[in-house]
Amino acid sequence: MISDYLSPLWISLKTVLLTTVITFILGIAAARWMSRYTGKLKPFIDGAFILPLVLPPTVVGFGLLLLLGKHGWIGHPLSLIGTTIVFSWPATVISAAVMAFPLMYMTTRGAFEQVDTNVEDAARTLGASEWRVLYSVTLPMAWPGVAAGTILSFARSLGEFGATLMLAGNIPGKTTTIPVAIYFAIQAGDMKQAVYLMAIVLCIAFVSLAALAYLKKPKARMRSLPVNLVPNDLLYTTGKKDKTA
Amino acid sequence: MLKVEIKRTLPDFQLDVAFAIDGEVLGILGPSGSGKTMTLHCIAGLLSPNSGFIKLNDRVLFDDAQKVNLPPKARNVGLVFQNYALFPFLTAGENIAYGIRHHSRQEMNHRVQALIEKMGLQGLQNRYPLQLSAGQQQRVAVARALAPEPDVLLLDEPFSALDSLTKEQLEMQIMELRQFYKGNIILVTHDLAEAYRLSSRIAVYETGKIIQCDRKDKLISSPANQKVARLTRFRNFMDGIITNIQDKSVWVDIPDLGTNLRVFANGHKDLAVNQPITVGIRSEHVQAVAAPGQNIFCGTLNSSVENLASINCYFDLKTEKSGNRSLEAAFSKATAPQLIDGGSCYLYLPPEQIVIITN
Repeated sequence: MISDYLSPLWISLKTVLLTTVITFILGIAAARWMSRYTGKLKPFIDGAFILPLVLPPTVVGFGLLLLLGKHGWIGHPLSLIGTTIVFSWPATVISAAVMAFPLMYMTTRGAFEQVDTNVEDAARTLGASEWRVLYSVTLPMAWPGVAAGTILSFARSLGEFGATLMLAGNIPGKTTTIPVAIYFAIQAGDMKQAVYLMAIVLCIAFVSLAALAYLKKPKARMRSLPVNLVPNDLLYTTGKKDKTA
Repeated sequence: MLKVEIKRTLPDFQLDVAFAIDGEVLGILGPSGSGKTMTLHCIAGLLSPNSGFIKLNDRVLFDDAQKVNLPPKARNVGLVFQNYALFPFLTAGENIAYGIRHHSRQEMNHRVQALIEKMGLQGLQNRYPLQLSAGQQQRVAVARALAPEPDVLLLDEPFSALDSLTKEQLEMQIMELRQFYKGNIILVTHDLAEAYRLSSRIAVYETGKIIQCDRKDKLISSPANQKVARLTRFRNFMDGIITNIQDKSVWVDIPDLGTNLRVFANGHKDLAVNQPITVGIRSEHVQAVAAPGQNIFCGTLNSSVENLASINCYFDLKTEKSGNRSLEAAFSKATAPQLIDGGSCYLYLPPEQIVIITN
């Protein structure tokens, strides 16, 4: 059945795209905040943000299950208004986002900290709001790092298995993502389906790695070009000669 | 009109300065770490002082008492950073346009074009900063800061990263800038000659304080204290006690020389007999003369250094007390006495060139 392949692919794609958007926004917001925050709690907040990267995915999934389950801190209030997250499609997004967030956060924060604060300050003195500074200066200057973080979190959420299985389970057509489908296909001895799904994952992985290489490459104009290595005739081609060149 | 009176305290440093400028160029002169850049960043709103106020024309930018602290974007202050801080992903033209994006496209292009011409950047507006030389980058940075027509332009060591030829050309450009930019300019530098050429008044910084702020000619002719005197290239200092005051002439007993030195009061009104003072003279004001007399001492040449246009001579003065008093003199090559090391000549310290430093 073709839907046996298409359903996990479709669920995975939906999950991965939404997860990437969420981690992109939250990761940038957290990185921006932490790259400026100088309070005493910095190492603790930083540690909490990166924690899911260190913990086994099943532990993260179990933690989320406790938190979002019927009697959890978040799950209980939600159940009162008639919403359950556990074993629903949003659970695949939540578990993947929690697992992918640290990669986006870490990479982006590193990139933000490399940005020359003078350039951001220059934008401020030229009348830019904090919001404009972020999207017109900080993000473009940190772009290679932000792009890398985005691709990494995309890849991480595509491969997410442990936490997803704990929180979202394996409900075909609803929460069965490709990694979960492969696992259960092999369990059931359906090698053909497992191989097809594996081929799909391989394709997505290759494409995203190629995209990473492409996006991370700084645009030619931003690459540093030592002035004294520029041939003089190149410097002088665009019009009036400049004496100070 | 810019009025600044600010204090900013850090664990190991305190900035405490006050000055005002009105449509002129103020040079801030001082060594690294004396708080020059911090002052500019306080005016631009990138740093907040602990107390005091900053007023620009009739606007209050910062006032501790009124709890006013405008963000940088609302201050209309142009700042040129020491490393220029251009946006590397925007072309020169786009860099200049960054601060005037809220204008209509036509108005924006018009202003960018006008600045490109004024700053001599024709043909370069589509280059990215890394494709420009340091001098060109600096001109883009100045044009970018001028585009929003700021009420004050702050230049942070604008020439420190340039070779001397480029520096000279850019200095000319900054001077020409006065023809179309009539606002206040503050120029931070650690080079006295640069501050003297470009500004009308100079504030001398020393570890977060202004030790003198005066018109540039006054700063050179009557330094307020020894630190300013040293900074403005006074090489010879002597401690003494006033023994006699007659009209404009003051006689100072210099124990080191064992004799009285005649100097001019030069505007000092609070002098009194028996007051201890320091007198100073620049090396280039010491003259070689043929015969002894008042303010003339016999010196033995210890060593000399030849410069491009002058010769710096280090003399040991023969005094009645036979103490070892050294004196530095700079003679132009044409008029330098022909001396070998160990040779002697008479050295005249003209009273009108000797400055009195009272504290």
